[in-house]
Amino acid sequence: MAMLLFVLLGPLVWQQDPSQQWLSQVSSGPTSGIYARVVGPISTKGVGNVSRLTVLESNTERVQLAWPEVVSVERFRLYRAKQHQSGKGLPLWQGRGRSYTDELQLRRQIYRYTLVDADTGMMLFSTETRPEPAISVFEAQLQELIPASATVYPEYLRLPAHPLGTDALGRDILARLMAGGRSSLFVGIVAPLLFISFGAIFGGLAGYIGGKFDQFAMRSADFVVALPFLLFMILLRIAFGIGPGQDGILPLILAMLLLSWPSSARLIRGQVLALRSQPFIDSARLSGVTTWGIFRRHIFPNVLPVLMVAFSFAIPQAIFTEAFLSFIGMGVSPPSTSWGAMCNDGIKTLLSHPGQLLWPAAMISISVLAFNILGDALRDTADKRSGGVGQ
Amino acid sequence: MSVVAIEHLQLALSGNQVLREVSFSLEEGECRALVGESGSGKSLTAMCLLGLAPPNAVLNAEQFSVMGQPLPAQGHRDWRGWRGRRIAMIFQNPMTALSPTRTIGAQLSECFRLHRNMDRRQARAESAALLERLAIPRAEQRLSQYPFEFSGGMLQRVMIALAVACRPKLLIADEPTTALDVTVQAEVLALLRELQHEQGTSLLFISHDLGVVANIADTVSVMYAGETVESASVASLLRHPAHPYSEALQAAMPRLHSREITVAIPGSPPDMRGTIQGCAFAPRCKHRMAICEDSPPLLISPRGAGVRCWRWHPDYPERWRLQHD
Amino acid sequence: MMIKFVLHRLLWGAITVWFIATATFFAMHAVPGDPLIQDKAMSPVVRAQLEARYGLDKPLSQQYFTFIGNMINGDFGISFTQENRRVNDIIREHFPVSATLGIAAIAIALVGGVLAGSIAAHYRGQWPDKLVMFMVVAAISVPGFVIAGLAQLIIVKLNSAAESTVLPVAGWGGVNHVWVPALVLGLGTLAYLSRLSRAAMLEVLSSDYILAARARGISGVSLFFRYQLRNALLPVVTELGPAVAAITTGGFVVELIFAIPGLGRYFVQAVQQLDYTVIMGTTVFYGAFLVVIVVLVDISYGLIDPRIRLSAGRS
Repeated sequence: MAMLLFVLLGPLVWQQDPSQQWLSQVSSGPTSGIYARVVGPISTKGVGNVSRLTVLESNTERVQLAWPEVVSVERFRLYRAKQHQSGKGLPLWQGRGRSYTDELQLRRQIYRYTLVDADTGMMLFSTETRPEPAISVFEAQLQELIPASATVYPEYLRLPAHPLGTDALGRDILARLMAGGRSSLFVGIVAPLLFISFGAIFGGLAGYIGGKFDQFAMRSADFVVALPFLLFMILLRIAFGIGPGQDGILPLILAMLLLSWPSSARLIRGQVLALRSQPFIDSARLSGVTTWGIFRRHIFPNVLPVLMVAFSFAIPQAIFTEAFLSFIGMGVSPPSTSWGAMCNDGIKTLLSHPGQLLWPAAMISISVLAFNILGDALRDTADKRSGGVGQ
Repeated sequence: MSVVAIEHLQLALSGNQVLREVSFSLEEGECRALVGESGSGKSLTAMCLLGLAPPNAVLNAEQFSVMGQPLPAQGHRDWRGWRGRRIAMIFQNPMTALSPTRTIGAQLSECFRLHRNMDRRQARAESAALLERLAIPRAEQRLSQYPFEFSGGMLQRVMIALAVACRPKLLIADEPTTALDVTVQAEVLALLRELQHEQGTSLLFISHDLGVVANIADTVSVMYAGETVESASVASLLRHPAHPYSEALQAAMPRLHSREITVAIPGSPPDMRGTIQGCAFAPRCKHRMAICEDSPPLLISPRGAGVRCWRWHPDYPERWRLQHD
Repeated sequence: MMIKFVLHRLLWGAITVWFIATATFFAMHAVPGDPLIQDKAMSPVVRAQLEARYGLDKPLSQQYFTFIGNMINGDFGISFTQENRRVNDIIREHFPVSATLGIAAIAIALVGGVLAGSIAAHYRGQWPDKLVMFMVVAAISVPGFVIAGLAQLIIVKLNSAAESTVLPVAGWGGVNHVWVPALVLGLGTLAYLSRLSRAAMLEVLSSDYILAARARGISGVSLFFRYQLRNALLPVVTELGPAVAAITTGGFVVELIFAIPGLGRYFVQAVQQLDYTVIMGTTVFYGAFLVVIVVLVDISYGLIDPRIRLSAGRS
């Protein structure tokens, strides 16, 4: 029953994380996107005569408007409103001219422009327009969609898709999620792997050798445990420092290794002590099995399930720690990113664009949840199997 | 008037008929022992008498009353007037039956305050007096000690004190001596007996040990697979057991002055998860007959024991042949 | 007996604080680079003055003893970045804010967690249990800063829906400024404690002494408080130390997001600006604080569980 649970649940849980990593390889390629008009500098050709408020050009780079002369109106004022917004909306401009180019944060939605007499406030014209997607020549060149030297360029360009949109700096969130996931999961898995192996070896030796070495090991474990964990994570992270061009992952892992080994060391020491007094170890020794043989054949297989459980619970802990440190800016440093760092970016634009926080947050939560469930399943399996050696 | 009258008590736990047919009565001042293997339903019957059957239990009885009053439904709030006040219970393991984080005094005087409306000081004085009465030395100081500071025998005295504090009409003792040292067992039994006579309490004594039962009880009901298979006086049961199971129990009892090897009962009790057809003991019975496929009614043996076995039917043995004939 | 036990714990605490201070000192002095490098260029004279002021011109061992000596006297030095501001003043000014928030959070976590855990245990397998366990898993899997962000978002939506300030989004001042951040801060711990107290309560509920107490006619409130809760609280109390630690460090983030002028926010700022004395001072302060909490928890555990008290006293 327990094995069934383990076999069924294990792969199910594991699926989630590799899939995120697998996607990361294709993240940069354009999949499907929108066509955008390539917009050059504003043409300086004359506006010409219009009979009412007219949209000459309408795309997300700019909306160009022109209107006729009106008798007895000296100064005009132009307002812009979103379609469903009541009132005239945002005052854009005021002056004597007869044309205006709106370049203020245009999106692909319907806008209503209203022209009024600036002195009397009387409404003169109103018109609606929906800007089409566009990209400026400059940006297209910057992103190498068209050659920088080109003077002739296509009218439309196909832009890469951003299924989850872009962040405050215009970077694709999906791609960053994947890149961030790589560092988050890397830290989340490698750090526990290291500190648990180290703790296990240290604790195992302490338990097996006993005596002075054991005392020394356990005293030092006591002291490390007494240190406030996150405070010293921060402190050690500063102490190790990072040079320019480094992503800060290595210091993070080192700090975790230094601070987290005692729990697994204690656990394994206890296990080894309990095992060592078991009759089957004595009988193995009596029948001439070497110390190494006993370790390899008897102790290791018995300790392994416990280690696996500890490992699967250490992973979510490590992911959390990384996220916390990155969130306060003490983790992975730019240009590298991690889910925690993305949350840090995202929280600044939370009110206008909650997605920038929610996506990386969801990633953290799902992976932590997955590993927690995996750990629970592993623990149940181990509990049922062990029986003999008490926890 | 009987203090306890139970007839055809049945109880199902998630669809499994755990108590199938329990009937016995208990007179004032009488001590009846409830005897049987573990799992035969003795403790569950006791729990029903306190309204503490598991919440998923479905209970059914023709008569189920104490002191002539029918008992409330299991888990009902009306039990407040019964538990501790009119019915009290002594548990098997005194080490685990007291809250480890409260002093003996706190737990004991709580009883007095709850059921006899005493104030704090009165209750404490009464508690000390009661412990003194139960031969616990330095009772006053002991009140402010915690359960883990007591020995097993002392704790069982405390449990008895808790149970008799409010002079209940019915005292249930669920294997009160099993967890104790043999030397302490006798003292506790003597104490129980003494208190019972002094207060005129009826005692329902649950045990699997016929030796202990012979010491304390007046009458015995033997339970097997959720059924009272025989009810008789102690003397009658020990000398002339009427039901084959009682017979087997009696034969399995170790004897001091005999070199006979005690006989274990062959086979094992039925699986309570299925429905039991006919006599539950039939598969292990050496007197098994064809008729045992049907449930035996309650019959009266010539010596006055109530017994559920076809062998005491007036038509036996003319009408039925033994199965292995 | 009790006094010996307490003294023993206090001695242990003092050694730990010393260890924390030492570790902090050497960690900070292992930092590569120059602590005095800031944006502005410095003349050698100014630099020498500053070095003298912070004691950086002395050999490391001497600096260490000065540092430990000052610590014992409760003097954490002067801030590097906020000139003329003493670290003691920063702590004195901002710690009460953090403490208020933390105490509120702990109270919410403790009461909520024990309550939720008890309810779940009493309704084992039924919908209240499933609901509580679901929320526990959810709360444990979501990082605190995300919960804080979401809470802020919800407050904003609420305020704009009500078209008035129902709850302040951030800042510090009235009661309304406390309880939302405190709830956010306590949520993770609350979840953890409810899981713990559920397990403890389940064990208590199946114990003989509860059955025995019910058989004595004890029921309702007195059964819950005197028998069930009291025994189920033991394992919860042992976890209070780690819980305080979690809430303390969690406070860094919550104070940052809700713009609360607590010590945690100053600590994070100090870390980001590499303000050495403030980092060392607050680290040692926090470390000592947590050690004190752990010792207090140990002692209170002794008060609740008579077995611990007596065995410690006897040994």
